[in-house]
Amino acid sequence: MIISENVCFAYAVPEDGATAPPPVLCGVDFAVEKGAFIAIVGRNGSGKSTLAKHINALLLPTGGTLWVNGIDTKDKARLWEIRKSAGMVFQNPDNQIVATIVEEDVAFGPENLGLPSEEILRRVRAALATVGMTEHAQSAPHHLSGGQKQRVAIAGVLAMRPSLIVLDEPTAMLDPSGRREVMETVKQLNAEAGITVVLITHFMEEAAQAHRLIVMENGRIAMEGTPRSIFKRGDALARLGLAVPQVVALAQAMREQGIPVAEDILEIDELIADEAVRKAAMAFSGAFFAKKTAPPREARPSAPLIEVRALSHMYNPGAAYEKKAISQLSLAIDAGEIIGLIGHTGSGKSTLVQHFNALLKPTAGQVLINAVDIHADKKQLKALRQRVGLVFQYPEHQLFAATVYEDVAFGPSRMGMGADELDKSVKNALASVGLGEEVCGKSPFSLSGGQKRRVAIAGVLAMRPEILVLDEPTAGLDPHGREEILSQIHEMHERLGLTVILVSHSMEDAARLCGRIIVMNQGGIAMEGTPAQVFAQGKTLEEIGLAVPLVSGILSRLGEINPHIPAGIFTVNDAALLLAGGGGTP
Amino acid sequence: MTRIAIGQFYPTDSPVHRLDPRVKLLAVIAFVTVLLFVTRFLGLGLAALFLAAIIRLSRVPARFLFRGLRMILFILIFASVINLFLTPGETILFSFGFIRLTAEGLYRAGLMTVRLVLLVIGSSLLTLTTSPIKLTDGIESLLRPFPLPAHDIAIMMTIALRMIPTLAEETDKIIKAQKARGADFETGSLPKRVKQFLAVLIPLFVSSFKRADELATAMEARCYRGGEGRTKMKPLKMKRADVLALAVTLLFCAGLIFLRFL
Repeated sequence: MIISENVCFAYAVPEDGATAPPPVLCGVDFAVEKGAFIAIVGRNGSGKSTLAKHINALLLPTGGTLWVNGIDTKDKARLWEIRKSAGMVFQNPDNQIVATIVEEDVAFGPENLGLPSEEILRRVRAALATVGMTEHAQSAPHHLSGGQKQRVAIAGVLAMRPSLIVLDEPTAMLDPSGRREVMETVKQLNAEAGITVVLITHFMEEAAQAHRLIVMENGRIAMEGTPRSIFKRGDALARLGLAVPQVVALAQAMREQGIPVAEDILEIDELIADEAVRKAAMAFSGAFFAKKTAPPREARPSAPLIEVRALSHMYNPGAAYEKKAISQLSLAIDAGEIIGLIGHTGSGKSTLVQHFNALLKPTAGQVLINAVDIHADKKQLKALRQRVGLVFQYPEHQLFAATVYEDVAFGPSRMGMGADELDKSVKNALASVGLGEEVCGKSPFSLSGGQKRRVAIAGVLAMRPEILVLDEPTAGLDPHGREEILSQIHEMHERLGLTVILVSHSMEDAARLCGRIIVMNQGGIAMEGTPAQVFAQGKTLEEIGLAVPLVSGILSRLGEINPHIPAGIFTVNDAALLLAGGGGTP
Repeated sequence: MTRIAIGQFYPTDSPVHRLDPRVKLLAVIAFVTVLLFVTRFLGLGLAALFLAAIIRLSRVPARFLFRGLRMILFILIFASVINLFLTPGETILFSFGFIRLTAEGLYRAGLMTVRLVLLVIGSSLLTLTTSPIKLTDGIESLLRPFPLPAHDIAIMMTIALRMIPTLAEETDKIIKAQKARGADFETGSLPKRVKQFLAVLIPLFVSSFKRADELATAMEARCYRGGEGRTKMKPLKMKRADVLALAVTLLFCAGLIFLRFL
């Protein structure tokens, strides 16, 4: 299907620039057989996306040769033949849907191929049925969820009847349920329609579902093999800035604790069926106590830092599109807490946090900070926004200044900070996100994706807020970038004493960082408590459409073997310790 | 912000909705042109009756049609005042200082107002009964005989319509993000405010260019190569009802012109 022989690619030397840019791809050799399901992983900038664009002849190799279905991609005369047989799905669903109606968009490809109308209609119907979007044929794309839009994009490619589909991080911008939808569709295409799939992803759990894995590093293939064989080499992956799936990590941790778990575990079912795991579970006597016990909430010394009283919010009240986003919600957050606000898209979490700094006004109810209603005094608005720093989702999209320094200084200078203090504040903020002074003079647009995000976070930190609200701070980053941001948030909390509110889809992130978790559903609070308390209620979480952290899920299934096993454990190490015979602190 | 209605299409099923967009476009052009030549209330009255009949057929509630008028209310008042007082005439009905109201002026102002109202309602009826996609298809098809890049114009219109809600949502988000950083768009001196708006405009431009680039790549990947050799899933087809509708409209317009010479 695809044969890549010594493929190299470098962007052309810019006309004014003296130095040639380094090659993006360098001697890439691989072959994909018909019907295969290949995953390509690697850090940002490792050349994955560039390679993907070669398969669709959007880019042509500057050295070596790539054949798709036996056609050399450099053969200009057969360009459309290649693009027809090798469909491509991109990361951002909004930037690949052309038409204003789903059905018309799916027809875009076949229309370009010049097919007769009846044939187009037939293909569009079949493609929409395959991805399960038939009932949305007449919908406008901007009314669909991210997962649905991505399925429309897949249908648009399917309607061209390709033998191969390349997906370039199709799930990076989706929430967990959207991610599941897309992965199920992709697997079904491969298994039932026999379409060859090349999936580029940052999610190791997705990569583990492929038949074969290619790991890229600096434009070269660093490793290649079945997921089992690659994930066995956790250390080598870690050196490349990549992680293994959590199941693999758990099996590894158990082996280190002396439980002889099989070496090549890849799936949850395999782990639970493993003889050694079952034996360890059986032997568990209950001699383990959760490490973190949150301070009891009754023992509150003074008034809470943030208090929300019976808050309701309605979008476009009175209009045809009136929508109730939050109803009768009350909560209290103490100074110094680190709170995880969890819920799926549309549960009202982003609406809620925009009330904390008065970007939105309650339709009913009150928001109090230090026991003062934030809408009581209009003149205090600026001071309020300084105290409550809000980092939006994809904050790098708001960068605008000529230099990093100016951009970070925008907030504090609006707040009327003096020159000396401003300078100190900007540099401290950059240091807090792990960026040195050398970036100050650079254009924010010249930085990498992860760096841009950190600059944007610094732009809020520089205002010296007491409360830092982050909306999905790790969305769309590679595993290494996610890790960096999370550990920096943790550090800010510890070192600067910030009260942190982390809005997230990810149970794992919240479980790791937060002392208390608030689960939102349909504009209200569905659950509240320590991570252990919340994750012990796996059933309720699943009903809301949220996944339990993988480790808790495994433990609750082991609980069927031995009812003494608590489900409220969510880190790999704790779980391994627990099963190894009651380590942990009593 | 996510629920933005594009254009003013009123989705329902009616004989007028089902008409070929080209027929509706041509009919509106003919109707509007002829209105400019009608100089008597009799003609305008007939035109109003004709329009009323089509509105009845279209099943579009009247309030949607008058919505279009609200936007040109100022022009309407301005034009009638000008006509009312600046038309030279013999029969003076009323005079105060330099202000003179003549019978001719009253007649001209009335004529002008009715004509403008009919004109606006007639063209609103087109956009109310035709979805943006069909309208684009119709324009593309009608432009084809002329030496114009008909397909390019159509695809630009489609993409613009597709991107309006996305960009509106994005603008809202960037404004909020900058507000959260202390930007104040309501108060402060002009240069200060301009700088704050740059904090919204620049990110918006950056992201639009990125979107444009990605969309172009995605379109190329789906074998887009301009209008050449492209077919349509739902090609426009003239049916008997379409021919009939067009014929009736054109006959009516010819009648109105004929009326002028009676």
